[in-house]
Amino acid sequence: MIGCVSDEPTLTELDDIEALDRMYRSRLLRFVAYSTGDQDLAETIVQDCLLKAYRGRESFRGDCSVYTWLAHIATNLVRDHQRSRKFQFWRNVQKTAPDLSEMASLLPGRESSPESQMLARESAQLVSAALETLSVKQRTVFLMRFIEEMELQDICQATGMRVGTVKTHLHRAVKAVRLKLGGRA
Amino acid sequence: MELDREQSHLTDEQFTDLLLGISAAPVRAHLKECAQCAQEAERVSGAIAGFAQESRLWAERRAASLPALEAGRKPGFAWIYRPQAWTAAVLTVALGVGIGVSVRQASVRPDHALVTHQQVAQVQPARVTSPATLKADNELLSAIDGELRADESTPASVYGLTAAAHGARNKSAKRMSN
Repeated sequence: MIGCVSDEPTLTELDDIEALDRMYRSRLLRFVAYSTGDQDLAETIVQDCLLKAYRGRESFRGDCSVYTWLAHIATNLVRDHQRSRKFQFWRNVQKTAPDLSEMASLLPGRESSPESQMLARESAQLVSAALETLSVKQRTVFLMRFIEEMELQDICQATGMRVGTVKTHLHRAVKAVRLKLGGRA
Repeated sequence: MELDREQSHLTDEQFTDLLLGISAAPVRAHLKECAQCAQEAERVSGAIAGFAQESRLWAERRAASLPALEAGRKPGFAWIYRPQAWTAAVLTVALGVGIGVSVRQASVRPDHALVTHQQVAQVQPARVTSPATLKADNELLSAIDGELRADESTPASVYGLTAAAHGARNKSAKRMSN
């Protein structure tokens, strides 16, 4: 499965579901919420991801970070959901995308003035809007690299893509974000 | 990665590499000379960083509001990922459609039955009993009644001494043999 080397005490984390939940839920939630654009669905997928990891912890060989492994499981769950969504005539999905305006109100006053805070908020909202225009793969690798700050090699392991493919998706995603921000791309 | 001398700004790939932190020395040198590229790089990286921070705060707050995970909890959408579940769903839908069609046909059937009866009535005329047959049947019933009455215990009937009973018995026997 995954070939990177990690020095983290991984087995301890996986043996304690509460610790696993406490350490990774919010990080996974952010990734899945912006991958699917549906925060309610993201909560369910994240819970399923953590349970799946906990129950299948014996299959984790410890040759990469726990988060990379979790991201791999979450990516598969999101992909399965995208696939099964075609058959969801029975379910009227009420999408509740993460609200950036709500997020912005959470921020402490890290900017020097209200004007610069407003500009930063608008820029963040533009990034969020740009993400919605991306394909699933582009969005996934963008979130993993720039939001989760995963290394390219870890992204390859989590998604099963080659480095060249990951970089191609990143190029396109960055181009879309630049365009949304009014750049030359 | 060399920068084309005629190229005035960074390409998409160079810009992405810059954000990824894997840009070549000529790209970094270009940023020092080109204010436009430098400003855009700062703007884009700042926007992404702001988005990352805000989304992290949102996720932390959201995750904190959720109930703690339990090891015994069943996955929410686990059945979606099982092919058996989809097979069962398809079979259920097919069964439902079948029942619907059946009910619909059943509601239509009385009309068909009415037409069939009418058609049968038109094709097969009612059977008419002739007066002679009616008379013969009545005679038979009377003879049977006579025999039943004859069985009632009287000394004469026991020994077959009653003429009427004898005649009636012969008559009914003859009709029964027919």
